[in-house]
Amino acid sequence: MRTTFQDELALLEATLQEEGALVLRALRGAINALEQRDEELADEVIAFDDDVDERYVRIEEGIQLLLARQTPVATDLRLVLAILHINLHLERMADYCVTIAKLSKLVPEVDPGPRFVEGFEEMGSRCEEMIRIALDSFGNRDLEGAESLVDLDELVDRANRRVVARILELGGDPEMREYGLRMVVVSRALERIGDHAVDIGEQTAYLLAAEFREFTDASHPSPREA
Amino acid sequence: MARDVTIPVDVGPAEIAQERKAPTPAQRDVVFDIDGLTVSYGSTTAISRVDLDVYRNLITAVIGPSGCGKSTFIRCLNRMNDLVPGARIDGQVLYRGQDLYADGVDPVEVRRRIGMVFQRANPFPKSIYDNVAWGPRVLGMKKDLDGRIERALTDAALWDEVKDRLKKSALSLSGGQQQRLCIARAIAIEPEVLLLDEPASALDPIATSAIEDLMHELKKEYTLVIVTHNMQQAARVADLTAFFSLEVGESKRTGVLVEYDTTDKIFTNPSDQRTEDYVTGRFG
Repeated sequence: MRTTFQDELALLEATLQEEGALVLRALRGAINALEQRDEELADEVIAFDDDVDERYVRIEEGIQLLLARQTPVATDLRLVLAILHINLHLERMADYCVTIAKLSKLVPEVDPGPRFVEGFEEMGSRCEEMIRIALDSFGNRDLEGAESLVDLDELVDRANRRVVARILELGGDPEMREYGLRMVVVSRALERIGDHAVDIGEQTAYLLAAEFREFTDASHPSPREA
Repeated sequence: MARDVTIPVDVGPAEIAQERKAPTPAQRDVVFDIDGLTVSYGSTTAISRVDLDVYRNLITAVIGPSGCGKSTFIRCLNRMNDLVPGARIDGQVLYRGQDLYADGVDPVEVRRRIGMVFQRANPFPKSIYDNVAWGPRVLGMKKDLDGRIERALTDAALWDEVKDRLKKSALSLSGGQQQRLCIARAIAIEPEVLLLDEPASALDPIATSAIEDLMHELKKEYTLVIVTHNMQQAARVADLTAFFSLEVGESKRTGVLVEYDTTDKIFTNPSDQRTEDYVTGRFG
């Protein structure tokens, strides 16, 4: 039954889920720091990234050893490759959370109005939902769940466009302009987190269907997206 | 307020990963301390000046191309080479500090503590029960013989398959079962070390996998040394791997120990180019 090998695979997957839980906390921390202008919390999110990186490295090393020593094949091979990719996506997401936390510390003391914060809260909670679904559908080998991420991502993209439109309405005051520029990057970071969640869904589909396909293709949009 | 960011997430996987790592050199307990071991058959030198330590409760694999002296080496660890006419052993094999080749050391006592399993399963043409009972009977370990046999067969992962037919001939078992029976026979006398010389090379993949799983269980109680020509098997099961190769001189070929390190290191980043060439399949 190759019990050692199966144990090692299960261990890698558990570490990956743990890394996912850390990313969720980083994202919630970053959004709260931004909304509440809490610099201390922002610093925690930045420092906290080391925990994610530690899992990232552990998974990388574990996969290297597993490939070298256990020569996985078939479903096992796809699982190892999927974990390798998802690991990178999660690590990127955590880096975006750090970007948001850093930007939240740099904003000038201006009041852009409550609707602004609402927009980020919406994007943030949608991204949280996407990460949860991405991790759960991978863990449960749930193709339908993985594919549902495309529609959820569309909602994040729309929220991103709304936020950018509001930024353009902020006016020409230099402090407000600086605030707007920084917030474009925050909005972009959240939008990218959603994209990475979709990419995790694609890895789940690859694992289950043994065929890699992009759910959406930015350079060849389907009629619905065009 | 999401102050809970500082609360650590359950660290289960990290702890498990730590447990699974091979112990660091400082944590290892030396069972065999081998120094300058040279074995010759007549005028031929089979292995030359091997220095190697074997550690308690770990699996040490010996790999290398045909004729590199892997089997010769492992047979020195329980004085099986004594039985080869013309064999000459130089250097030192210390087992728990005791020189195995010193005057007055009884090879039978050595083999009681250091058991061996061979490539071809070699059960006696007797019942399953008698095969396992043979060693304990010879050594006078007659107390609770049934219990001892059940334990040995259970530890060898064979009990469930044979408990209803212990009086049947051992030769009625499949090749994989016969090999596990030989392991049960070896551990029935409670040795400290098990030497396995190509234990799975005559078995199909499923029986091989059963033996490999069994080795992981056995290392909790025993120290294992395995010789295998199957590199992937060493990669899968061993904590430490020794790579032997042939040094080719004028008309002479001698086995030498090239590299000895953790299996992780040997299979991801070996120090010696000859090891790299062998594990990547460029040579041998």
